Amino acid sequence: MTPLVVVLNVTLCFAGFAALALSLDRHHREALAGRVPAGRVLPLRAAGWALLALSLAGAVAWEGLNFGPVQWIGALTGGALLVVLVLSYRPAWLRPAALLALPLGLAVVPAILLAFAH
Amino acid sequence: MRQGFRHAMAWLHAWSGLVVGWVLFAVFVTGTASFYRAGITQWMRPELVAIEADPGRAADLGAAYLRRQMPDAMGWFIALPTPEKPAISVMWWKSMEGPFHEALLDPATGEPTRARETRGGDFLYRFHYELSMPPTLGRWIVGACTLVMLVALISGIVTHRRIFADFFTFRRGAKSAQRGWLDAHNVAGVLGLPFHLMIAYTGLTLLATLYMPWGVRTAYKGDEIRYFVEAGLMPELRWTAGRPGTLAPLGPIVAAAMARGGEVPEGLSVWNPGDVNAAVVAIFEEPHGLSHHHAQIAFDGQTGAVLGTNGAVGPATGTGTVMAGLHMGHFAGPVLRLLLVLCGLMGAATVATGLVLWAVARAPKGAAPAGFGLLLVRALNLGTIAGLPAGIAAYFLANRLLPVGLSERASFEVGAFFGVWVLVALYAVLRPGPRAWTQALGLVGALYLAVPPVAALTGGLSQPGGALRFLGFDLWMLALGLGFVFAARKAAARAGAPLRRPVRGMTGEEALRA
Repeated sequence: MTPLVVVLNVTLCFAGFAALALSLDRHHREALAGRVPAGRVLPLRAAGWALLALSLAGAVAWEGLNFGPVQWIGALTGGALLVVLVLSYRPAWLRPAALLALPLGLAVVPAILLAFAH
Repeated sequence: MRQGFRHAMAWLHAWSGLVVGWVLFAVFVTGTASFYRAGITQWMRPELVAIEADPGRAADLGAAYLRRQMPDAMGWFIALPTPEKPAISVMWWKSMEGPFHEALLDPATGEPTRARETRGGDFLYRFHYELSMPPTLGRWIVGACTLVMLVALISGIVTHRRIFADFFTFRRGAKSAQRGWLDAHNVAGVLGLPFHLMIAYTGLTLLATLYMPWGVRTAYKGDEIRYFVEAGLMPELRWTAGRPGTLAPLGPIVAAAMARGGEVPEGLSVWNPGDVNAAVVAIFEEPHGLSHHHAQIAFDGQTGAVLGTNGAVGPATGTGTVMAGLHMGHFAGPVLRLLLVLCGLMGAATVATGLVLWAVARAPKGAAPAGFGLLLVRALNLGTIAGLPAGIAAYFLANRLLPVGLSERASFEVGAFFGVWVLVALYAVLRPGPRAWTQALGLVGALYLAVPPVAALTGGLSQPGGALRFLGFDLWMLALGLGFVFAARKAAARAGAPLRRPVRGMTGEEALRA
């Protein structure tokens, strides 16, 4: 069931990298206007790294210790590339897209569980 | 001191990257295409449609054909039909130095198929590490360039001053051209960095025994086959006895291999088929893990008794086979494969933007004329970055446009590849200037966009399997074509000569700067 797990990996990486990008003044200005509020930097960074870690955990849990990390590294590149593309062409969409990616990624989880139950 | 070190690394990065850049671009592009090697081959042989074939009977048909071609061969190889390659593919040779003959047989009749003669995806695959040169020379050149690529990657990381702060930065509307190219180079390089490092390193280890043969040579003193046997890469074989023998039917051997190995073998190699010491080796596809290691069972060619298997690999060889597996990505399903292809394209983009950046950064100020070195780099840049993709598109178009029964057809296809590449490169030399980029990239885009309609008009609409049989391939051609047209428009905006109208919502001045 690799495709579903890849979807989970990429959506979580995308949301994670989006949070990391929004914790930087330059991208926060492009996407939301203004510098990052002082109290926001740490939560955004923590959320970003946590989502990347969660993506790795999902990859290892369902694809094993040999394929999982390989697939996760591919998803890192894919997710980060999506963030860069959104930031360059539609910066205002970054936050909504990230907020949409999260439930989409989580929505795949039951499907993955179902697929592995069979 | 620190500044001095970074400065030295920047110098190293710029020059090491430039020297090998053109070769690396070609290696990246053809290597990325090789992730779809089987799919490309399938598209280039549209006559072959999947059929149910009995593997044992296919092996016997292959052997019957080979017995007619070369009964006293040193070796035969029979690849059994698969859904991706629904034909019996045979090879035969008299000596390890070659020549290696090959043919494609119909699994129903055992006669050569009526499929058009083509090298398919195998040509791009071989080009990836041999550059269409004599194999050993090509592999050495690619290896040397890969080594320098590792140097360029590491020195590039050191040179990149703000690798984390600029992680997501791509200033499309940057005022200076140099800034925009630098951002593109950094983004493509940094985001794909795990892949770039992995692919360069594993590429070198794949051919490690070619590049550094001395260890094996010293330890095994001329009996290098022994090394491969002891490493678990091949089973023990026997020397010829010099007495003629009769090869047993292969059908029962295939059945025995299936019973022992649990699946249909990928193919059979038959050593010394005409000798009493003939051996048949059933080779299985690599296991469904990262490791690129083919299980093999050797049979006595006379009696069909099992001679032995290749053992399990030790830690060192195991590491090597995992590296090989990572490099080739046979384990990847369609989605992961797409990510790998994306990473490969980013690698090609890193090299291409780096080459362009080198020239942009050294452009003379004002009206001063460009020196010979800069003109040479510019011509090679355009000749490679537009020329090679144009060549690949021409290779695909030639596959459909050349008459099916043309003799030496496969060579004409390869000729189209090199011919169009050389033409674009010549154009870059004869007509330098910003307009040349627009025209060359536009041509590449048009060539790719032409592939699906040309395929449709040359039998694609009535092909077995329906007009949408190669939908994935067609979509890739459209995506590549549109990508190059987009790039041509960007180049046109830069050159101050918009192809059509400026991008919607932008003033003319903004479009110029975009």
